[in-house]
Amino acid sequence: MGKYLQTVWQCRYFWLSLVRMDLRTRYRRSILGMGWSLLHPISMTAIICIVFPRFFKSVNIHEYIPFVLAGLACWNYITFVALQGCQCFYQGEMYIRQFPAPMAIFPLRTALGGTIHFLIALCVVVVVASFLKQSINILALASLIPSILLLFVFVWSLAVIAGFSNVFFNDTQHLTEIGFQILFYATPIIYGVEMLAGSRLGRVIQFNPIYVFLKLIREPIIHQQAPTAATFAWAAGTVLLFAALAGFILAKLQRKLIFKL
Amino acid sequence: MARIRLENVSLTFKVRQQGRITLKEFLVRQMFRRSVNPFLKVRALQDVSLEFKEGERVGIIGHNGAGKSTLLKLLAGVYPPSKGTLTVEGKISSLFELALGFEHDASGWENIFYRGYLQGETPKSVRAKMQGIADFSELGDFLNMPVRYYSAGMLVRLAFSIATAIDPEILLVDEVLGAGDMAFQAKARQRMCEMMSKARLIVMVSHDMDALEKLCESGIWMDHGQVRRQGPIHEVIAAYTNSVQAGQNRAA
Repeated sequence: MGKYLQTVWQCRYFWLSLVRMDLRTRYRRSILGMGWSLLHPISMTAIICIVFPRFFKSVNIHEYIPFVLAGLACWNYITFVALQGCQCFYQGEMYIRQFPAPMAIFPLRTALGGTIHFLIALCVVVVVASFLKQSINILALASLIPSILLLFVFVWSLAVIAGFSNVFFNDTQHLTEIGFQILFYATPIIYGVEMLAGSRLGRVIQFNPIYVFLKLIREPIIHQQAPTAATFAWAAGTVLLFAALAGFILAKLQRKLIFKL
Repeated sequence: MARIRLENVSLTFKVRQQGRITLKEFLVRQMFRRSVNPFLKVRALQDVSLEFKEGERVGIIGHNGAGKSTLLKLLAGVYPPSKGTLTVEGKISSLFELALGFEHDASGWENIFYRGYLQGETPKSVRAKMQGIADFSELGDFLNMPVRYYSAGMLVRLAFSIATAIDPEILLVDEVLGAGDMAFQAKARQRMCEMMSKARLIVMVSHDMDALEKLCESGIWMDHGQVRRQGPIHEVIAAYTNSVQAGQNRAA
């Protein structure tokens, strides 16, 4: 495993240049360019701040808005990387056919692209939260660093799994889209966990792997305290499980991939 | 120590007649024996045993679809052999498709970097070679323009300059000898000779018999995935040429 990661590291200039290329292609010929990466989360924030207070008069807006925003940023990150990850090997097909390279670099390219947009969105959320709550705890925010690292490994593994699945079964992307639509309502993004305490859905949510990452990201921003060791442990376990699955898939199917493209 | 060895290597592709499998097809196949989208077996390479030693310059010839490029890609590590073993000692540099990895909205200078990283260079090594590449391509100020505005010949010049700015140990070349206008052709041939004198082992695929006779000393004739003839380049080319002419006479 270590050797494999070393081969990935050896071609780092290549996949970093691919990430750079992706970002530039996304915003080529647009006037704002990378500014759109900032404008997307800001406009989402503005819309939620205007719309939600009208519908949810009973909840505490100063806590609810950052809650929803942080949840949405996380959710968009995970779904973006998973869905783009389905296409990552087709995107990189011309490279795969010419140069042998560790296959993990193509999901890595997708994961890094998504991470950049996530970090921008997260900055916006932190700024909005500290503005609404009139306070900020830097130490608690420091706990975001290991959380983001864990989340990164998680989405990279997801991209690997999605990419290979989509090459071997082309309907994977469509199934994943529908799956995420359903999962959105089984994930406490819009509603808090307390709203569903005791019900069957509440119990199902506890086992949603995305829920633990939402907790990791939300705790420092909304409650201004670092997440508990138990949350980290649960997240690390989830990451380990998905990373092991991704590693297993890479080991077994990496060499067969080119025959299926 | 550069060396390549193939022992009884076979490479088979299983291709579906109608592209990729869908979920419906997968489920239907489980339920019924026969499928409407059957596999076709393409035996790209059949029981190939070859050995290339240090200092050899090998030319591969054959008809279209004989398995020449597939053999090169197998040597490069792109395709794993279905059967048999492949042993490669030494670092492989390949010249397969010149225009790979070009970002159309980036300038010529930036594309030198992108293509360089694809070949395994670091930013430092690309910067060291950058001026040499620019001078060889003779594109001058055009390098500041986005590559999408280049003509086909300019693209070829740039691609060739970047792709050949390497120090190869084992060099695999797939029909990249024809490039650019007349003046550039002469330069390109010169550059190829320089590269080949630097490399320790060269395997080349080409349809240009004259070039192969000048540049290589041993040859391999591939025919429908099998090695039909192996030996000194003149003999192999003569045998291949006779076979092609005999085929044409029969057809006429």
